Amino acid sequence: MNLSLIDWAIVVVYLAGCMTAGIWMRRFVRGVEDFAVAGRAMDVNLGIASLAATELGLVTIMYTAQLGYEKGFAGATIGVIMALAMYLVGRTGFVIKPLRQAGVMTIPELFERRFGKGVRWAAGLFVVLGGVLNMGIFLRLGGEFLINVTGMPKDSHALEWVMTGLLGLVLIYTVMGGMLSVLVTDYLQFIVMGLGIVVTSVLVIHHMGWNALVTQLWMCWDGTAAGVGQTLKSHPFNPFDKTNFGWPYIVWQLAFQIAVVTTWQTQISRVLASKNEQTARRMYSRTAFYFVGRFALPGLWGAAALVYFSFNGGLPAGLDSLTAMPAFLSTILPVGLIGIVIAGMLAAEMSTDSGYLLTWATVIYNDLISPCVKRPLAPRTRLLITRALVLAIGVFLVFFGLWYKLPGNAWDYLAVTGSIYLASVFTLLVAGLYWRRATAAGAYAALVLGAVGPLTFLAVNLVVPKEKQISPEVAGAAAFGLAFAGMICGSLLTRPARPDLMTEVAK
Amino acid sequence: MIDLFVMFWTVMIFTSVFWYGFLLFYVGVKGGKEIKEMTKTLERRADEEKK
Repeated sequence: MNLSLIDWAIVVVYLAGCMTAGIWMRRFVRGVEDFAVAGRAMDVNLGIASLAATELGLVTIMYTAQLGYEKGFAGATIGVIMALAMYLVGRTGFVIKPLRQAGVMTIPELFERRFGKGVRWAAGLFVVLGGVLNMGIFLRLGGEFLINVTGMPKDSHALEWVMTGLLGLVLIYTVMGGMLSVLVTDYLQFIVMGLGIVVTSVLVIHHMGWNALVTQLWMCWDGTAAGVGQTLKSHPFNPFDKTNFGWPYIVWQLAFQIAVVTTWQTQISRVLASKNEQTARRMYSRTAFYFVGRFALPGLWGAAALVYFSFNGGLPAGLDSLTAMPAFLSTILPVGLIGIVIAGMLAAEMSTDSGYLLTWATVIYNDLISPCVKRPLAPRTRLLITRALVLAIGVFLVFFGLWYKLPGNAWDYLAVTGSIYLASVFTLLVAGLYWRRATAAGAYAALVLGAVGPLTFLAVNLVVPKEKQISPEVAGAAAFGLAFAGMICGSLLTRPARPDLMTEVAK
Repeated sequence: MIDLFVMFWTVMIFTSVFWYGFLLFYVGVKGGKEIKEMTKTLERRADEEKK
């Protein structure tokens, strides 16, 4: 193990602080509204902390570092695009303003007002499937980081036990205090995580030397370093270069990230918990630049790991582009600081897990169970059911994401479920909020076609050779195109049920 | 080898480090006050409901 007594002490103090704050918030929970959207009493800075902490998980750090390892600094381009999307949506209020004005607890709830109960239920199912399946990989990827940084034995079940314990702690305070606990613990985790990220980034730059890092990264790409060869296949700085992302992918990402920031339920749940729409918009525009660092700083660690291993005998056996970054950090972090960094990364994992658990439990209760209940349930019963759902999702994730190994390529399933979710729900949201002529038939057509597209691409890519496979930008754009085509054709072929529904949505 | 892309990423990475450091203090102080305010609001609502 790479941890000293002082490192352990830092980690234990952090965990104890989080648990105390999370459990303390339980006293303020009086009903589902407090539990799910914090009584809509959240102000802008707390919103920034919560949004940033939830959307920057250990899984994010792992895959953005992997982008840095494989694509150099240019791997952070997606972060720049996402920041632009956040800023634009915050400034214009596109989707989030009418959504917050509607006073709903989830996105599918809005669909019921606009398209009817059936669409709400179907969209709720898409949201839950896409969200929970995506969350399935969080625990394992987060565990990989901890195993490699701390030097825990890889052949035992240490990863599974550590992550099960961590999720257990998250479940305790999330089940008790819901969004109120999540907000307060997110705030603490934002501070600890931010400290860990800043400390690590400064150490990486200090250890490598900025000019040396830039020069050696270039040498990894052009293969001019003696005895090193070309260890980087993508241009390290130019994202438009055909060896890096390239133009088509970047243009596609511009549209895709607008859909992500207006549709992804964990982000939207912060909009819905805001005091009002102005708070939600300010939270978005002020958090925007945080998303550049979300990709650029772990990307810096990944790029530094590539340079370090390239110039020090190559990547050791058992490591790959995903695990290179934590292994590199374990070699440069001194005693005392490694505790702060691990506490920061635990904070990143816990804030994401708690936010996601609560969000999907709220959608299951609000949009799948509630519409099927004939008589309204007592507030106590509703609260009990939502708490039980948080617990059930947690238990499911432990087995699905940790102890059970998915057959085949898990990433394909996740990409497909994510595409189905985003294409369908984004189409319904935009049409529901901005197109008077949209009808329930159009909504069903968008849901079906938004799902058929990604599933077809998955099937085609399974049978055709790699060089003929459909690229992500083509598959993604086609999924959105099909969903929008379904909405337009379905709506134009049918009559709107009630012409006044559009104004009712915002009430 | 100093090109525009290298300069762009240098600015992005260093600004991100400073921005994260700044937010630690700014959101740390302001967010703490907002938590106090939020708990007071929730307590007040609970009292009003009891009455």
